[in-house]
Amino acid sequence: MLRSLSLNMRLFLEGAFLSYVALFRWLRPMTYLASKIVMPLASILFFTFLGTYATSASNASFYVIGNAIQIASVSGIYGVTMSIGGDRWEGTLVYLFGTPANRLAMFVGRAFFHIFDGILGVWIGLGWGVILLGLDLSHTDLSALLLTILATTFSTSGLGLLLGCVSLVSLDTMFINNLAYFSLLIFSGANVPIASLPTWLAAISWGLPLTRGIAASRELIAGASLAQVAPLIIGEAAVGAVYVFLGYALFRWFEFQARRRGTLEAF
Amino acid sequence: MTASTFRQDLRVVASTFEVTLKMIAVDSFVLFGILIQPLIIAVLAIWMLTPKDPTQAIFVVIGSGMTGLWSTLLFIGGNSITRERWTGTLESLVAQPTPLAYIVFGKNLASVLQSLLSMLVSYALAALLFRLELHIAQPGAFAVSLVLTVFSFVCFGLIIAPVFLLNPAVQQWQNAMEFPVYILAGFLFPIALLPGWTTPFSYLLAPYWAARALHATSSGSATPGELALCWGMMGMFGILYLVFSRFLLRVILRKARADATLGLE
Repeated sequence: MLRSLSLNMRLFLEGAFLSYVALFRWLRPMTYLASKIVMPLASILFFTFLGTYATSASNASFYVIGNAIQIASVSGIYGVTMSIGGDRWEGTLVYLFGTPANRLAMFVGRAFFHIFDGILGVWIGLGWGVILLGLDLSHTDLSALLLTILATTFSTSGLGLLLGCVSLVSLDTMFINNLAYFSLLIFSGANVPIASLPTWLAAISWGLPLTRGIAASRELIAGASLAQVAPLIIGEAAVGAVYVFLGYALFRWFEFQARRRGTLEAF
Repeated sequence: MTASTFRQDLRVVASTFEVTLKMIAVDSFVLFGILIQPLIIAVLAIWMLTPKDPTQAIFVVIGSGMTGLWSTLLFIGGNSITRERWTGTLESLVAQPTPLAYIVFGKNLASVLQSLLSMLVSYALAALLFRLELHIAQPGAFAVSLVLTVFSFVCFGLIIAPVFLLNPAVQQWQNAMEFPVYILAGFLFPIALLPGWTTPFSYLLAPYWAARALHATSSGSATPGELALCWGMMGMFGILYLVFSRFLLRVILRKARADATLGLE
């Protein structure tokens, strides 16, 4: 059993590392700089200026925090779905499903490094907020904020795993990814307070990643303690776990259907 | 150039326009950029701006429509030449007698005209779903502004496309170029909110003058002087882009042919 555990751990870590390295688009320095640093900065600036124009300059932090945390979805959605969908496009799906390797380790491992990449992206976004937009972190429990960001990137990566499975059977991967990413701008509370949404839309928001993470981050930066936001952090992690479970279930179901119908890499 | 040659080239523009229109009409990535993304931005902007001032609705409709125009131009117009490279048809296009600029013009015209749907969709959203009052105060001037917007955007695309072809490193910045233009062109908030040193950059962008003209004519605040300035700037930038794009394409294609890199990334 110990041997099996160590084998699966090795599979998890090596698979995670190789799938991240294989994502060559983001490993070109200029592409990484443009997509993971400049684009999020532009997004934060746009929504912060829009938000302060709509309300007042004193509300800038609301939009800075919301959009900085929302950067987690760049790695979580695009990075993870490309890591999974890449197997289909590169023709390695048949080898993947042909191995006896532990499917859970193989599948969840795809998201592992994107979680940490997402944390880095969010910290960069918050950094831009401090440098350019006057975000004040002096009352913040930074370790609690780091934990919140970890839970948030985990939950968005969970959504990414689910969407990645859809990319195995769909040709409109970017359409679905873009729809998810932009929908989170509305429903995550990044730019519009959840309380101001219609009740049925707010219910959808609480079922999505980012919502609790953004709420917890705002409270922490305002000076709340870890204990006060713990329910939100736990809720965020739980949402992520649900999405990971759904994604894994879908992944296994697709594998079963593809073997049964002989349509493993059919387009 | 003779009259018959010019008619032949116009026919190429028309054919390119028709084929591009049909191709992008069923492209899900394009449809997202034209319909869904501006819709989402419109929803956000309506929720953020109209509670304080419901008369902002037309401002939101125009602004979110402009975001669709720019995003479409950036991703579709910008890739109009590189897409031919990806499909292996660039060499054939370059070798045939009609200048490549006419083909790019036809492609950009199709994508920009189709992206005007963004404004229609935002209008429908605001009017039907949110039941907001929408009224264009100066419809004649608005129509002229819209025509000049299309002209200046199409010509801007004639610059973007060859630049992306020349240097793939620039194309990697495509994602990062979307929101900065939303900000600098004042699509959804005045550029007066920005630091003063950014104003010259705004003035150098044709989308800024387009947004300024469309916002002013829709709200009724456009004076004859304001219209003359905006229309003049859009016309001037359009002509400048046209002239510069001919030079740019000639240099790029000559270099690509000399280096035998036309089909290479």
